[in-house]
Order: sequence, then C-alpha cells, then structure tokens
Amino acid sequence: MQEEVSQIYYLSEVAVTVEFGQQIAENLLTAVNNLNVLLYERPFPGFKTTVPAYATLTVFYDPILVIKSNLPGTGSFEKVSGYLSDLKLQSNTTKAVKGDVVTIPVCYDLDFGPDLTEVASVHQISTAEVIKLHSAGAYKVYMMGFMPGFAYLGGMNAQLTTPRKATPRKSVPAGAVGIAGQQTGIYPLETPGGWQIIGQTPLRLFDVNREQPSLLKAGDTVIFKPIDIHAFNQLTAW
Amino acid sequence: MQIRILKPGLMSTIQDLGRYQYLSQAVPVCGAMDTLSARIANKAVGNEDNAAVIEFTYADAEFVSETDLLIAYAGDGAILKSGEQELPCDRPLFIPSGTFIKLTNNPSGCRTYLAIAGGWDVPEILGSRSTFLIAGFGGMDGRVLKKGDTLKNEATQSVSTQKIFKSLNYGKVNYPEWSIPRQLLLPADRKAIRVVPANEFGWFNSRSTADFMSASHIIGRQSNRMGYHLEGVLLHRVKHHELLSTAVTPGTIQVTGSGSLVLLMADCQTTGGYPRIAKVAAVDMPLCGQLKPGDALNFKEIGLREAEMLYIEREQHLQQLTTAVQTKYL
Repeated sequence: MQEEVSQIYYLSEVAVTVEFGQQIAENLLTAVNNLNVLLYERPFPGFKTTVPAYATLTVFYDPILVIKSNLPGTGSFEKVSGYLSDLKLQSNTTKAVKGDVVTIPVCYDLDFGPDLTEVASVHQISTAEVIKLHSAGAYKVYMMGFMPGFAYLGGMNAQLTTPRKATPRKSVPAGAVGIAGQQTGIYPLETPGGWQIIGQTPLRLFDVNREQPSLLKAGDTVIFKPIDIHAFNQLTAW
Repeated sequence: MQIRILKPGLMSTIQDLGRYQYLSQAVPVCGAMDTLSARIANKAVGNEDNAAVIEFTYADAEFVSETDLLIAYAGDGAILKSGEQELPCDRPLFIPSGTFIKLTNNPSGCRTYLAIAGGWDVPEILGSRSTFLIAGFGGMDGRVLKKGDTLKNEATQSVSTQKIFKSLNYGKVNYPEWSIPRQLLLPADRKAIRVVPANEFGWFNSRSTADFMSASHIIGRQSNRMGYHLEGVLLHRVKHHELLSTAVTPGTIQVTGSGSLVLLMADCQTTGGYPRIAKVAAVDMPLCGQLKPGDALNFKEIGLREAEMLYIEREQHLQQLTTAVQTKYL
C-alpha cells in the first residue's frame, strides 16, 4: 500500500484543496466526508462552498472576507489552510458520517438497455444474469463530477467489467444506466456517450426545480431496483 | 425598458458573475468569460457587479430599443453603433425608444458585455442568472438569444441608476463626459498571461516546464466556453501515475494524455483527472476571455502570494470605481 501523504495546496485565489491521499479507499472517503460535514458546522469567515472528491476536499472562499478576518496568517491561502489543518485534526477523531440510502428503480427491458446483449455476450452469461448481478450490489457514491448530478459509483461486481463502446452514441437519454470499464453510472442529462447502456431509470437525477437539484451526493449508497415497463411508465407519468 | 433582438450574432447568452453554490453537485460556474468587462458595464449604469448582462461573441448582432434605455457596454468584441454614430464603451448611454443598434467589428478581442439599468430580467436559477447551455438552464430559457427575443430590465434599480438615467434623458442618444477607465486596470501586454505553478507542476520534466513558460501558445480552433486548446508545445512527464479525479476551476491548465494543454474556462467541469501544470492568475482571466482561436499568448510565472495580492488590489480598485460613480450622482 502506498504511503498516504496529506497536504493542503493552492487551487486558485479563491480555493484550496485538502488532499488526504492518492487512492480510492474507504478510509479516505470517510475522511473527506467528515471534514466536509465539520466545515459546514464550523465555517470560517468568507467560506463559500466545497467540492468533495475521491481523496480531496476543495474549499472555496471569498478572499476579501478571509483577509478581513482575524484568522492567523498572512494572505488568504495561509489563513484558510491554517484553519483547515486545525479542523482536519479534529475531524479525524469524529466517527463516520452516514450518507443516505437511495433506491433507484431501473427498467432493464431491451428497449431501454440496447447494450444488454453485448454485455451478456462479452461475459458469456445471460442478460438475466447481468441484471441480477447489477441490481444485487450496493453502490457507494464516491464523488460527483463530469456533469450536473453525475455520480461516480464504486462497488460494481467485477464480473460486469466491460469496455466502453467502440463508437460512442451521438445521444444517450437522461436516466440511462450504463457500464464503462469497472464503473457503473447514470446519465443525468441527454448527452453523447460511450457507455454500455443496460437500462433506464424514470427518476430525474438532476432537476433545477428541486431544493437539492441532484438526487445523489457524495457519501450516499445507491441500490438499483429492477422494475417492469408498467412501473416505469407509472413513475414517469407521476 | 425593453429591447428586441433583430440579429443574435454568433453566440449571445445572458451571464452574471457565475454560479458557485452547486459545485458539489457538479454544476459548473459559468458566468461571463471576461468578468472585468461585465462588471464595468454594470458599474457604468449604477448596477451591482453581479447583475445579468448579455455576452455577445464577436459582432454581427443587432437590436432595437422598444422603450427609452439606460445601457452600457464594455469588452473587446464589438463597437456599438446607432446608424453611423459610434457609441462609446465603458460609460452609461441613454438610448431613446425606436433606436436601431448594431454591433460592428472590433478585431482586438471577441466578447462584449451589454448591461442595462437594474440588470436583464431573467429568473435566478440555482443562485445565478448565468446561462449553462449544455444542461439548458439559466439565462434565457437555458439557450442562446435568437431573433425576435424581447428582453426587459429588472424593475428594481439603485438610486445611482435612477439618477444617471434622469441626468441623461433628453430624448436623444446621450452620454456623459466621463467613462470608467477600464484600460488602466489592464496590463500593457495583454498576451502575457500570468500563471501560478499548480500542484502537479513537478510531474513534468524541466525541459517541458521551461517550454511551457517560454513558448508561444496558440488558441486552437476547438476552443469554446468550456476550455481552450493551446497549441505549440507538448509536455513530457517524469511522474507517470494517474491523478485521481479532483476539483478543477476556470483558469486551471490541464495537460492531457498526449501532452497537450487545455486552459479551462467558465463552463468547465467541476472535477478532472488530468495533471494540472499551472493556474492563470484570477486578474488575468478576463484577458483570456477575450482571446480567440489563432491568437498567441505567453505565460509569465508569478508566485501564489503575488497572485493573491493582485486579486486584492483589483477588488479594491473596482470598489473605488463603484464609489466614484456613486459620488458623481449624490
């Protein structure tokens, strides 16, 4: 195992990044999440928002308010990084903050999963087996990124590892559930894409009219629940 | 106040200073590419810096005033004209109802910002009025402006705005003697972009980092509001492991797998997995917002502390400009 080097570095005049390590690991995800929660409980003057990732928490702030504050140090980077390293020491001792469990209904009919047969044939199993393996897992939201509402999910059964499509599609619908390499994910918006599409959820992953526009957030657990076309249509109409 | 778009131009969107509260849900910042010009146009009409403006790309756009207007424009993408009369930038303009205004070519840059008394009236979505075209929200229904669109201003206006309007309202195109000295805020050499080395600067060999700082970089054709491809040098890594995806921001310069450079701009993704060699100083991002495909630029290395000081100085300077406009109309 690599040695974990923790550091705080400059991202821009308005943001610093706290790095906990350089790998995908449960303890690092917990550390990122814990510091994030603690920071929202105890913000510093000028604190604006955060971006949690696999092993980093990036903290955005207003340098003018930071400079005016009585945090120790010269310059906003020094003041904020000083505050964050103190907070980090305290957050290490707090216990893991649990995210929400979000059940996502997925219709795995062939109409919605045009690549189901391709995925099945790559692994020489039946499409029913693909669906069973995919919906049996509990997936962790490692981080959000790429596009609004997109969750990087960890924990897919290694048996489903499938390369991306040789030629990306010009358009993949919002709600499409796909596999790319060792990852599985859901397209929040209609966009071009090269993932193997195996199903479709009627839920909106991202909706600007909701108080929390993104259905998922870092730290959540995702369960895929197979539904038939009738349930899909009902949920869509609703 | 109201205008109607007669010719939308290449890409015209409503923007403000960006959307910061939903970065954790992977919603990009967006906002004006040249925030300095957007802020100056707003200041000239007595608005808050963050009021919604129209961002025009190049010229070839036209609109008509359907009421009397108090507007201002700033930026290097176009010169506004009413008939043959050139309208000066960086200052308030009174425009009577029924005036046709054209954006004509200004080859020095590419983006122009049009502010109106109170700001353009579009709904605030997720804390901002900026348009995010890819997801189709913000600004004017999440899209570019098109022919026939009518745009109104906000009903609420500052006291300064009301006084400026009153002082210029004599039934014909009118503007004051003063203007906001935008040029004084800009460095003499607008193609020398100051950068601070980023976290993965040491991942590249010394020849590559020297090339990065000394060579000319050309803005590639594939450039847009998400980012600019920079052509001219390929960088070579000495450290080959993968970077775990982490936050990036407008101004971040990434090095792709092939060693080429991408400068991230306003609409960039919130996270990325390419190593980051440098970050453009915040004060020089407005200059980048005016660059167009084919333009050459050079980087000049500065330290983090210097970048911070420049940021604070710029903000103080901009605050003084607001005060100066307000004191003219006490």
